[in-house]
Amino acid sequence: MNGCDVRLEGVRYAYGAREALRGVSLRIGAGEQVALVGPNGAGKTTLTRLLVALRRPGAGRVTVGDWEVAHKRPDEMAQRVGYVFQHADHQLFARSIRDDVVFGPRRLGRSEALVPGVLEEMGLAAAAGLHPYDVPAPLRKLVALAGVLAMEPCVLVLDEPTAGLDRVQRDRVVSALQRRAEAGVTVLAVSHDLGFVAEVAARVVVMGDGRIVADRPARELLYDREALAALGLRPPPTVEISGALGLRGSPVRTTEVVAVMGGIRWKQMPE
Amino acid sequence: MTALVVLERVTFTYAGAVRPALADVSLEIAAGDVMAVTGESGAGTSTLLLVATGFAPRVVGGTLAGTRRIAARRCGVVFARPWTQLTGLCSTVRDEVAFGPASLGLPRATVLAAARNAMETLHIEQLAGREPSHLSGGELQRVMVAAALAMRPDVLALDDPAAELDPEAADALYDVLPVVAAAGTGVLLATPDSERAGRVATRAVALASGRIVAEGSPAEVLTDTEVARIARAAGCPPPYPWDVPSLLRRVER
Repeated sequence: MNGCDVRLEGVRYAYGAREALRGVSLRIGAGEQVALVGPNGAGKTTLTRLLVALRRPGAGRVTVGDWEVAHKRPDEMAQRVGYVFQHADHQLFARSIRDDVVFGPRRLGRSEALVPGVLEEMGLAAAAGLHPYDVPAPLRKLVALAGVLAMEPCVLVLDEPTAGLDRVQRDRVVSALQRRAEAGVTVLAVSHDLGFVAEVAARVVVMGDGRIVADRPARELLYDREALAALGLRPPPTVEISGALGLRGSPVRTTEVVAVMGGIRWKQMPE
Repeated sequence: MTALVVLERVTFTYAGAVRPALADVSLEIAAGDVMAVTGESGAGTSTLLLVATGFAPRVVGGTLAGTRRIAARRCGVVFARPWTQLTGLCSTVRDEVAFGPASLGLPRATVLAAARNAMETLHIEQLAGREPSHLSGGELQRVMVAAALAMRPDVLALDDPAAELDPEAADALYDVLPVVAAAGTGVLLATPDSERAGRVATRAVALASGRIVAEGSPAEVLTDTEVARIARAAGCPPPYPWDVPSLLRRVER
Protein backbone atom coordinates (compact mmCIF):
# COMPACT_ATOMS: atom_id res chain seq x y z
CA MET A 1 0.00 0.00 0.00
CA ASN A 2 1.34 3.44 -0.86
CA GLY A 3 2.21 5.80 1.94
CA CYS A 4 0.59 9.09 2.84
CA ASP A 5 2.51 12.15 3.85
CA VAL A 6 2.30 13.43 7.41
CA ARG A 7 2.41 17.11 8.36
CA LEU A 8 2.53 18.95 11.65
CA GLU A 9 2.39 22.73 11.59
CA GLY A 10 3.07 24.81 14.69
CA VAL A 11 1.80 22.08 16.98
CA ARG A 12 1.64 22.67 20.71
CA TYR A 13 0.48 20.33 23.44
CA ALA A 14 0.48 20.67 27.24
CA TYR A 15 -0.15 18.28 30.10
CA GLY A 16 -1.74 20.73 32.51
CA ALA A 17 0.79 23.51 33.01
CA ARG A 18 3.69 21.52 31.52
CA GLU A 19 4.23 22.07 27.81
CA ALA A 20 5.25 18.84 26.09
CA LEU A 21 5.28 20.21 22.53
CA ARG A 22 6.31 23.84 22.02
CA GLY A 23 5.51 24.58 18.40
CA VAL A 24 6.53 21.59 16.29
CA SER A 25 6.49 21.70 12.48
CA LEU A 26 7.46 18.60 10.55
CA ARG A 27 6.74 17.09 7.16
CA ILE A 28 7.30 13.43 6.45
CA GLY A 29 6.97 12.59 2.78
CA ALA A 30 4.84 9.71 1.52
CA GLY A 31 6.94 6.54 1.63
CA GLU A 32 9.67 8.14 3.76
CA GLN A 33 11.23 6.35 6.76
CA VAL A 34 11.94 8.64 9.67
CA ALA A 35 13.32 7.94 13.14
CA LEU A 36 12.36 10.22 16.02
CA VAL A 37 15.03 10.30 18.72
CA GLY A 38 15.74 12.40 21.79
CA PRO A 39 15.95 12.17 25.56
CA ASN A 40 13.19 10.90 27.83
CA GLY A 41 10.47 13.50 28.23
CA ALA A 42 11.36 15.33 24.97
CA GLY A 43 7.83 14.94 23.62
CA LYS A 44 8.35 12.08 21.16
CA THR A 45 5.48 9.88 22.31
CA THR A 46 3.16 12.87 22.64
CA LEU A 47 3.90 13.83 19.04
CA THR A 48 3.10 10.35 17.74
CA ARG A 49 -0.18 10.21 19.61
CA LEU A 50 -1.37 13.34 17.84
CA LEU A 51 -1.10 11.45 14.54
CA VAL A 52 -3.81 9.00 15.52
CA ALA A 53 -6.07 11.45 17.36
CA LEU A 54 -5.29 9.89 20.73
CA ARG A 55 -4.43 13.41 21.80
CA ARG A 56 -5.58 16.72 20.33
CA PRO A 57 -3.11 19.58 19.91
CA GLY A 58 -3.66 22.74 21.94
CA ALA A 59 -2.60 24.70 18.85
CA GLY A 60 -1.46 23.97 15.32
CA ARG A 61 -2.52 21.52 12.66
CA VAL A 62 -1.90 17.83 11.97
CA THR A 63 -2.68 16.18 8.64
CA VAL A 64 -2.20 12.67 7.26
CA GLY A 65 -2.54 12.74 3.49
CA ASP A 66 -5.60 14.88 2.84
CA TRP A 67 -7.13 14.15 6.25
CA GLU A 68 -7.24 16.78 8.98
CA VAL A 69 -6.65 14.71 12.11
CA ALA A 70 -8.62 17.25 14.14
CA HIS A 71 -11.78 16.10 12.33
CA LYS A 72 -11.17 12.39 12.86
CA ARG A 73 -11.67 9.90 15.66
CA PRO A 74 -8.94 7.36 16.59
CA ASP A 75 -10.91 4.52 14.97
CA GLU A 76 -11.15 6.50 11.73
CA MET A 77 -7.43 7.25 11.79
CA ALA A 78 -6.79 3.48 11.96
CA GLN A 79 -7.83 3.36 8.28
CA ARG A 80 -4.56 5.08 7.44
CA VAL A 81 -2.23 5.02 10.40
CA GLY A 82 -1.12 1.87 12.21
CA TYR A 83 0.09 2.72 15.71
CA VAL A 84 2.19 0.39 17.84
CA PHE A 85 2.32 1.49 21.46
CA GLN A 86 5.51 1.36 23.44
CA HIS A 87 3.78 -1.09 25.73
CA ALA A 88 1.86 -3.73 23.85
CA ASP A 89 -0.40 -4.29 26.82
CA HIS A 90 -2.15 -1.05 25.87
CA GLN A 91 -3.50 -2.59 22.68
CA LEU A 92 -4.03 -6.32 23.24
CA PHE A 93 -7.36 -7.61 24.45
CA ALA A 94 -8.47 -10.70 22.50
CA ARG A 95 -8.39 -14.24 23.86
CA SER A 96 -5.85 -15.53 21.42
CA ILE A 97 -2.95 -14.05 19.52
CA ARG A 98 -4.67 -14.92 16.22
CA ASP A 99 -7.91 -13.15 17.30
CA ASP A 100 -5.92 -10.09 18.27
CA VAL A 101 -4.21 -9.92 14.89
CA VAL A 102 -7.48 -10.57 13.01
CA PHE A 103 -9.33 -7.86 14.91
CA GLY A 104 -7.83 -4.91 13.02
CA PRO A 105 -8.57 -5.93 9.42
CA ARG A 106 -11.99 -7.26 10.45
CA ARG A 107 -12.86 -4.00 12.20
CA LEU A 108 -11.81 -2.05 9.10
CA GLY A 109 -13.80 -4.34 6.83
CA ARG A 110 -10.63 -5.47 5.07
CA SER A 111 -9.44 -8.88 4.00
CA GLU A 112 -7.99 -11.17 6.67
CA ALA A 113 -5.83 -12.86 4.04
CA LEU A 114 -2.65 -11.23 5.33
CA VAL A 115 -3.02 -12.59 8.86
CA PRO A 116 -1.26 -15.97 8.46
CA GLY A 117 1.67 -14.36 6.65
CA VAL A 118 2.05 -11.63 9.25
CA LEU A 119 1.94 -14.18 12.09
CA GLU A 120 4.68 -16.11 10.28
CA GLU A 121 6.69 -12.94 9.70
CA MET A 122 6.67 -12.15 13.43
CA GLY A 123 7.48 -15.74 14.42
CA LEU A 124 4.07 -16.14 16.04
CA ALA A 125 2.52 -18.89 13.89
CA ALA A 126 3.13 -21.64 16.45
CA ALA A 127 1.86 -19.45 19.32
CA ALA A 128 -1.23 -18.11 17.48
CA GLY A 129 -3.67 -20.09 19.60
CA LEU A 130 -2.26 -18.89 22.91
CA HIS A 131 -3.67 -16.08 25.02
CA PRO A 132 -1.53 -12.95 24.49
CA TYR A 133 -0.93 -12.69 28.23
CA ASP A 134 0.41 -16.24 28.38
CA VAL A 135 3.47 -15.29 26.32
CA PRO A 136 6.41 -13.14 27.49
CA ALA A 137 6.11 -9.35 27.22
CA PRO A 138 8.55 -9.04 24.27
CA LEU A 139 6.44 -11.49 22.27
CA ARG A 140 3.33 -9.44 23.06
CA LYS A 141 5.08 -6.54 21.44
CA LEU A 142 5.38 -8.56 18.24
CA VAL A 143 1.68 -9.46 18.51
CA ALA A 144 0.84 -5.75 18.62
CA LEU A 145 3.01 -5.09 15.58
CA ALA A 146 1.50 -8.06 13.73
CA GLY A 147 -1.99 -6.69 14.42
CA VAL A 148 -1.04 -3.36 12.91
CA LEU A 149 0.73 -4.86 9.89
CA ALA A 150 -2.33 -7.00 9.14
CA MET A 151 -4.31 -3.79 8.61
CA GLU A 152 -1.93 -2.66 5.84
CA PRO A 153 -1.74 0.94 7.02
CA CYS A 154 -0.23 3.52 4.68
CA VAL A 155 1.57 5.10 7.66
CA LEU A 156 3.24 3.05 10.39
CA VAL A 157 3.94 4.80 13.69
CA LEU A 158 5.94 2.81 16.22
CA ASP A 159 6.96 3.84 19.72
CA GLU A 160 10.18 2.12 20.84
CA PRO A 161 9.48 -1.01 18.79
CA THR A 162 12.69 -2.79 19.80
CA ALA A 163 12.84 -1.99 23.54
CA GLY A 164 13.06 -5.20 25.54
CA LEU A 165 13.32 -7.46 22.48
CA ASP A 166 16.05 -10.04 22.10
CA ARG A 167 18.19 -10.01 18.97
CA VAL A 168 16.13 -12.52 17.01
CA GLN A 169 12.94 -10.58 17.70
CA ARG A 170 14.65 -7.32 16.88
CA ASP A 171 15.79 -8.74 13.54
CA ARG A 172 12.18 -9.67 12.76
CA VAL A 173 11.03 -6.11 13.39
CA VAL A 174 13.86 -4.69 11.27
CA SER A 175 13.06 -7.03 8.35
CA ALA A 176 9.33 -6.31 8.57
CA LEU A 177 9.93 -2.55 8.45
CA GLN A 178 12.45 -2.83 5.63
CA ARG A 179 9.87 -4.78 3.61
CA ARG A 180 7.16 -2.17 4.29
CA ALA A 181 9.60 0.58 3.34
CA GLU A 182 10.26 -1.11 0.01
CA ALA A 183 6.49 -1.28 -0.50
CA GLY A 184 6.29 2.50 -0.05
CA VAL A 185 4.75 2.65 3.43
CA THR A 186 5.54 5.80 5.41
CA VAL A 187 7.29 4.92 8.68
CA LEU A 188 7.81 7.02 11.80
CA ALA A 189 9.65 5.16 14.56
CA VAL A 190 10.48 6.55 17.99
CA SER A 191 13.64 4.85 19.17
CA HIS A 192 16.64 5.15 21.46
CA ASP A 193 18.27 2.26 19.62
CA LEU A 194 20.54 3.84 17.01
CA GLY A 195 21.49 0.40 15.69
CA PHE A 196 17.83 -0.08 14.82
CA VAL A 197 17.62 3.47 13.43
CA ALA A 198 20.57 2.71 11.15
CA GLU A 199 18.72 -0.32 9.76
CA VAL A 200 15.33 1.25 9.07
CA ALA A 201 15.51 5.04 8.81
CA ALA A 202 16.74 7.28 6.01
CA ARG A 203 16.20 10.43 8.06
CA VAL A 204 16.53 11.22 11.76
CA VAL A 205 14.54 13.91 13.56
CA VAL A 206 15.87 14.77 17.01
CA MET A 207 13.60 16.25 19.67
CA GLY A 208 14.57 18.04 22.85
CA ASP A 209 12.34 19.75 25.37
CA GLY A 210 9.26 19.77 23.14
CA ARG A 211 11.02 21.06 20.03
CA ILE A 212 12.78 19.67 16.99
CA VAL A 213 16.49 20.32 17.50
CA ALA A 214 17.92 18.47 14.49
CA ASP A 215 16.58 16.96 11.27
CA ARG A 216 19.21 15.24 9.09
CA PRO A 217 19.76 12.29 6.77
CA ALA A 218 20.50 9.21 8.92
CA ARG A 219 23.72 8.41 7.05
CA GLU A 220 25.04 11.91 7.72
CA LEU A 221 24.03 12.21 11.38
CA LEU A 222 25.19 8.71 12.37
CA TYR A 223 28.70 9.58 11.14
CA ASP A 224 28.74 12.97 12.87
CA ARG A 225 30.31 11.92 16.15
CA GLU A 226 30.34 15.45 17.56
CA ALA A 227 26.68 16.07 16.82
CA LEU A 228 25.76 12.71 18.34
CA ALA A 229 27.83 13.40 21.46
CA ALA A 230 26.11 16.77 21.87
CA LEU A 231 22.81 14.87 21.83
CA GLY A 232 24.09 12.35 24.37
CA LEU A 233 24.22 9.61 21.72
CA ARG A 234 26.90 7.21 20.54
CA PRO A 235 27.18 5.93 16.97
CA PRO A 236 25.68 2.47 16.38
CA PRO A 237 28.10 -0.51 16.30
CA THR A 238 28.00 -0.60 12.49
CA VAL A 239 29.29 2.97 12.29
CA GLU A 240 31.84 2.39 15.10
CA ILE A 241 33.23 -0.58 13.19
CA SER A 242 33.19 1.28 9.89
CA GLY A 243 35.05 4.22 11.44
CA ALA A 244 37.60 2.00 13.20
CA LEU A 245 38.36 0.01 10.06
CA GLY A 246 38.18 3.00 7.71
CA LEU A 247 35.51 1.37 5.55
CA ARG A 248 34.49 3.14 2.34
CA GLY A 249 31.06 4.51 1.46
CA SER A 250 29.72 5.38 4.96
CA PRO A 251 27.84 2.09 5.47
CA VAL A 252 25.24 2.17 8.26
CA ARG A 253 23.25 -1.05 7.86
CA THR A 254 24.67 -4.38 9.05
CA THR A 255 24.42 -5.87 5.56
CA GLU A 256 26.29 -2.90 4.10
CA VAL A 257 29.08 -3.12 6.69
CA VAL A 258 29.42 -6.89 6.32
CA ALA A 259 29.61 -6.51 2.52
CA VAL A 260 32.41 -3.94 2.75
CA MET A 261 34.25 -6.12 5.32
CA GLY A 262 34.41 -8.95 2.78
CA GLY A 263 38.10 -8.42 2.01
CA ILE A 264 39.33 -8.53 5.61
CA ARG A 265 41.79 -11.23 6.64
CA TRP A 266 41.18 -12.45 10.18
CA LYS A 267 43.64 -13.70 12.75
CA GLN A 268 42.64 -17.13 13.98
CA MET A 269 42.84 -16.34 17.70
CA PRO A 270 42.96 -13.11 19.72
CA GLU A 271 46.40 -12.00 20.82
CA MET B 1 32.00 -11.96 50.58
CA THR B 2 28.88 -13.12 52.40
CA ALA B 3 26.40 -15.06 50.29
CA LEU B 4 23.07 -13.25 50.30
CA VAL B 5 21.24 -15.82 48.16
CA VAL B 6 22.18 -19.41 47.49
CA LEU B 7 20.34 -21.55 44.95
CA GLU B 8 21.22 -25.24 44.74
CA ARG B 9 19.71 -27.23 41.88
CA VAL B 10 16.57 -25.12 41.98
CA THR B 11 13.70 -25.89 39.64
CA PHE B 12 10.70 -23.58 39.49
CA THR B 13 7.42 -24.18 37.68
CA TYR B 14 4.62 -21.62 37.32
CA ALA B 15 1.15 -22.78 38.33
CA GLY B 16 -0.50 -24.60 35.42
CA ALA B 17 2.69 -24.66 33.34
CA VAL B 18 3.79 -27.93 31.77
CA ARG B 19 7.51 -27.23 31.75
CA PRO B 20 9.59 -25.56 34.46
CA ALA B 21 10.63 -21.94 33.84
CA LEU B 22 13.89 -22.62 35.69
CA ALA B 23 15.56 -26.01 35.74
CA ASP B 24 18.38 -27.22 37.95
CA VAL B 25 19.81 -23.77 38.58
CA SER B 26 22.66 -23.35 41.06
CA LEU B 27 23.86 -19.86 41.80
CA GLU B 28 25.26 -17.73 44.60
CA ILE B 29 24.83 -13.98 44.94
CA ALA B 30 27.09 -12.12 47.34
CA ALA B 31 27.33 -8.56 48.58
CA GLY B 32 29.31 -6.56 46.04
CA ASP B 33 28.23 -8.64 43.05
CA VAL B 34 26.75 -7.10 39.92
CA MET B 35 25.54 -10.26 38.27
CA ALA B 36 24.29 -9.93 34.71
CA VAL B 37 21.65 -12.45 33.69
CA THR B 38 21.21 -12.84 29.98
CA GLY B 39 19.23 -15.03 27.61
CA GLU B 40 16.70 -14.83 24.83
CA SER B 41 13.12 -13.91 25.59
CA GLY B 42 11.49 -16.78 27.49
CA ALA B 43 14.84 -18.17 28.68
CA GLY B 44 13.90 -17.64 32.33
CA THR B 45 15.83 -14.46 33.17
CA SER B 46 12.86 -12.68 34.79
CA THR B 47 11.91 -15.85 36.65
CA LEU B 48 15.43 -16.18 38.05
CA LEU B 49 15.09 -12.68 39.51
CA LEU B 50 11.77 -13.57 41.13
CA VAL B 51 13.10 -16.84 42.55
CA ALA B 52 16.37 -15.36 43.82
CA THR B 53 14.52 -12.58 45.65
CA GLY B 54 11.85 -14.85 47.13
CA PHE B 55 8.96 -13.34 45.14
CA ALA B 56 8.44 -16.71 43.47
CA PRO B 57 6.61 -18.73 44.55
CA ARG B 58 5.59 -16.59 47.58
CA VAL B 59 3.90 -13.84 45.54
CA VAL B 60 3.43 -15.28 42.07
CA GLY B 61 2.57 -18.87 43.01
CA GLY B 62 4.04 -22.00 41.44
CA THR B 63 6.26 -24.70 42.91
CA LEU B 64 9.92 -24.65 43.80
CA ALA B 65 12.13 -27.71 44.15
CA GLY B 66 15.74 -27.85 45.28
CA THR B 67 17.40 -25.75 47.96
CA ARG B 68 17.14 -22.00 48.28
CA ARG B 69 18.67 -20.00 51.12
CA ILE B 70 17.99 -16.28 51.25
CA ALA B 71 20.13 -14.59 53.90
CA ALA B 72 19.25 -11.11 52.64
CA ARG B 73 16.94 -9.25 55.01
CA ARG B 74 15.35 -7.26 52.24
CA CYS B 75 15.17 -7.78 48.49
CA GLY B 76 14.09 -5.12 46.03
CA VAL B 77 12.78 -5.93 42.57
CA VAL B 78 12.12 -3.53 39.70
CA PHE B 79 10.06 -5.12 36.96
CA ALA B 80 10.48 -4.53 33.25
CA ARG B 81 7.09 -2.79 33.25
CA PRO B 82 7.62 -0.17 35.94
CA TRP B 83 4.13 1.32 35.88
CA THR B 84 2.80 -1.89 37.41
CA GLN B 85 4.73 -0.99 40.57
CA LEU B 86 3.28 2.45 41.18
CA THR B 87 1.52 2.60 44.54
CA GLY B 88 -1.33 4.64 43.10
CA LEU B 89 -1.43 6.42 46.46
CA CYS B 90 1.19 9.12 45.98
CA SER B 91 0.73 12.41 44.16
CA THR B 92 4.44 13.24 43.89
CA VAL B 93 7.57 11.33 42.93
CA ARG B 94 9.08 12.27 46.32
CA ASP B 95 6.22 10.52 48.13
CA GLU B 96 6.40 7.55 45.79
CA VAL B 97 10.10 7.03 46.54
CA ALA B 98 9.50 7.57 50.27
CA PHE B 99 6.59 5.11 50.38
CA GLY B 100 8.81 2.03 50.77
CA PRO B 101 10.95 3.23 53.68
CA ALA B 102 7.85 4.78 55.29
CA SER B 103 6.08 1.43 55.12
CA LEU B 104 8.98 -0.07 57.09
CA GLY B 105 8.02 2.17 60.01
CA LEU B 106 11.28 4.14 59.98
CA PRO B 107 11.44 7.58 61.61
CA ARG B 108 10.28 10.44 59.35
CA ALA B 109 13.74 12.02 59.08
CA THR B 110 15.24 8.67 58.04
CA VAL B 111 12.50 8.13 55.46
CA LEU B 112 13.03 11.56 53.90
CA ALA B 113 16.81 11.13 53.86
CA ALA B 114 16.53 7.70 52.23
CA ALA B 115 14.20 9.08 49.54
CA ARG B 116 16.46 12.07 48.92
CA ASN B 117 19.59 9.92 48.66
CA ALA B 118 17.92 7.47 46.29
CA MET B 119 16.69 10.29 44.03
CA GLU B 120 20.17 11.84 44.02
CA THR B 121 21.75 8.50 43.14
CA LEU B 122 19.40 8.11 40.16
CA HIS B 123 19.75 11.80 39.18
CA ILE B 124 16.00 12.41 39.38
CA GLU B 125 15.87 15.22 41.97
CA GLN B 126 14.20 17.42 39.32
CA LEU B 127 11.26 15.02 39.16
CA ALA B 128 10.57 15.15 42.92
CA GLY B 129 7.47 17.31 42.68
CA ARG B 130 5.98 15.66 39.58
CA GLU B 131 2.84 13.52 39.51
CA PRO B 132 4.04 9.91 39.03
CA SER B 133 1.28 9.02 36.56
CA HIS B 134 2.35 11.88 34.26
CA LEU B 135 5.94 10.68 33.87
CA SER B 136 7.38 9.32 30.64
CA GLY B 137 8.35 5.64 30.58
CA GLY B 138 12.03 6.43 31.08
CA GLU B 139 11.40 8.82 33.94
CA LEU B 140 9.17 6.29 35.63
CA GLN B 141 11.72 3.52 35.28
CA ARG B 142 14.30 5.60 37.16
CA VAL B 143 11.73 6.51 39.82
CA MET B 144 10.98 2.84 40.41
CA VAL B 145 14.69 2.00 40.75
CA ALA B 146 15.01 4.87 43.24
CA ALA B 147 11.97 3.58 45.15
CA ALA B 148 13.57 0.13 45.41
CA LEU B 149 16.91 1.61 46.43
CA ALA B 150 15.32 3.81 49.12
CA MET B 151 14.41 0.64 51.02
CA ARG B 152 18.13 -0.18 51.22
CA PRO B 153 17.78 -3.72 49.95
CA ASP B 154 20.54 -6.28 50.47
CA VAL B 155 19.66 -7.68 47.06
CA LEU B 156 18.47 -5.44 44.24
CA ALA B 157 17.06 -7.25 41.22
CA LEU B 158 16.50 -5.20 38.08
CA ASP B 159 14.66 -6.56 35.05
CA ASP B 160 15.85 -4.78 31.91
CA PRO B 161 16.07 -1.49 33.84
CA ALA B 162 17.10 0.60 30.84
CA ALA B 163 14.43 -0.64 28.41
CA GLU B 164 12.64 2.70 28.61
CA LEU B 165 15.68 4.93 28.92
CA ASP B 166 17.45 7.14 26.43
CA PRO B 167 21.13 6.17 25.93
CA GLU B 168 22.51 8.82 28.28
CA ALA B 169 20.10 7.89 31.07
CA ALA B 170 20.79 4.18 30.41
CA ASP B 171 24.54 4.73 30.78
CA ALA B 172 23.95 6.72 33.96
CA LEU B 173 21.74 4.01 35.43
CA TYR B 174 24.25 1.26 34.67
CA ASP B 175 27.03 3.38 36.17
CA VAL B 176 25.07 3.49 39.43
CA LEU B 177 25.08 -0.29 39.81
CA PRO B 178 28.76 -0.75 40.82
CA VAL B 179 28.28 2.05 43.36
CA VAL B 180 25.25 0.33 44.84
CA ALA B 181 27.11 -2.98 44.92
CA ALA B 182 30.16 -1.42 46.55
CA ALA B 183 27.92 -0.24 49.38
CA GLY B 184 27.20 -3.90 50.20
CA THR B 185 24.24 -4.79 47.99
CA GLY B 186 24.12 -7.78 45.67
CA VAL B 187 22.80 -6.62 42.31
CA LEU B 188 21.06 -8.96 39.87
CA LEU B 189 20.64 -7.49 36.43
CA ALA B 190 18.56 -9.21 33.75
CA THR B 191 19.18 -7.53 30.42
CA PRO B 192 19.44 -8.15 26.68
CA ASP B 193 21.99 -5.30 26.54
CA SER B 194 25.29 -7.23 26.60
CA GLU B 195 27.29 -4.11 25.74
CA ARG B 196 26.22 -2.05 28.76
CA ALA B 197 26.08 -5.04 31.10
CA GLY B 198 29.61 -5.98 30.09
CA ARG B 199 30.85 -2.62 31.31
CA VAL B 200 29.50 -2.90 34.86
CA ALA B 201 28.95 -6.57 35.71
CA THR B 202 31.37 -8.48 37.92
CA ARG B 203 29.91 -11.86 36.92
CA ALA B 204 27.43 -13.13 34.38
CA VAL B 205 25.18 -16.09 33.68
CA ALA B 206 23.44 -16.99 30.44
CA LEU B 207 20.16 -18.93 30.47
CA ALA B 208 18.50 -20.97 27.74
CA SER B 209 15.20 -22.80 28.27
CA GLY B 210 15.45 -22.19 32.01
CA ARG B 211 18.92 -23.68 32.40
CA ILE B 212 22.26 -22.01 33.02
CA VAL B 213 24.29 -22.54 29.85
CA ALA B 214 27.24 -20.30 30.68
CA GLU B 215 28.62 -18.77 33.83
CA GLY B 216 31.74 -16.73 34.41
CA SER B 217 33.25 -13.33 33.77
CA PRO B 218 31.26 -10.86 31.62
CA ALA B 219 33.85 -11.22 28.83
CA GLU B 220 33.28 -14.98 28.78
CA VAL B 221 29.49 -14.93 28.95
CA LEU B 222 28.21 -11.69 27.40
CA THR B 223 29.39 -12.57 23.93
CA ASP B 224 26.20 -11.95 21.95
CA THR B 225 26.90 -8.33 21.08
CA GLU B 226 26.21 -6.47 17.83
CA VAL B 227 29.96 -6.35 17.15
CA ALA B 228 30.19 -10.12 17.63
CA ARG B 229 27.30 -10.68 15.24
CA ILE B 230 28.82 -8.44 12.59
CA ALA B 231 32.24 -10.07 12.97
CA ARG B 232 30.66 -13.52 12.64
CA ALA B 233 28.71 -12.45 9.54
CA ALA B 234 31.91 -11.00 8.05
CA GLY B 235 33.69 -14.33 8.38
CA CYS B 236 35.70 -13.85 11.59
CA PRO B 237 36.48 -17.26 13.13
CA PRO B 238 35.42 -17.85 16.77
CA PRO B 239 35.83 -16.73 19.49
CA TYR B 240 34.07 -13.63 18.24
CA PRO B 241 35.25 -10.19 19.39
CA TRP B 242 32.62 -8.57 21.61
CA ASP B 243 33.57 -4.90 21.18
CA VAL B 244 35.32 -2.70 18.61
CA PRO B 245 38.81 -2.76 20.23
CA SER B 246 38.76 -6.56 20.42
CA LEU B 247 37.57 -6.69 16.79
CA LEU B 248 40.48 -4.51 15.70
CA ARG B 249 42.89 -6.91 17.41
CA ARG B 250 41.54 -9.74 15.22
CA VAL B 251 42.11 -7.96 11.90
CA GLU B 252 45.32 -8.75 9.97
CA ARG B 253 46.92 -5.44 9.04
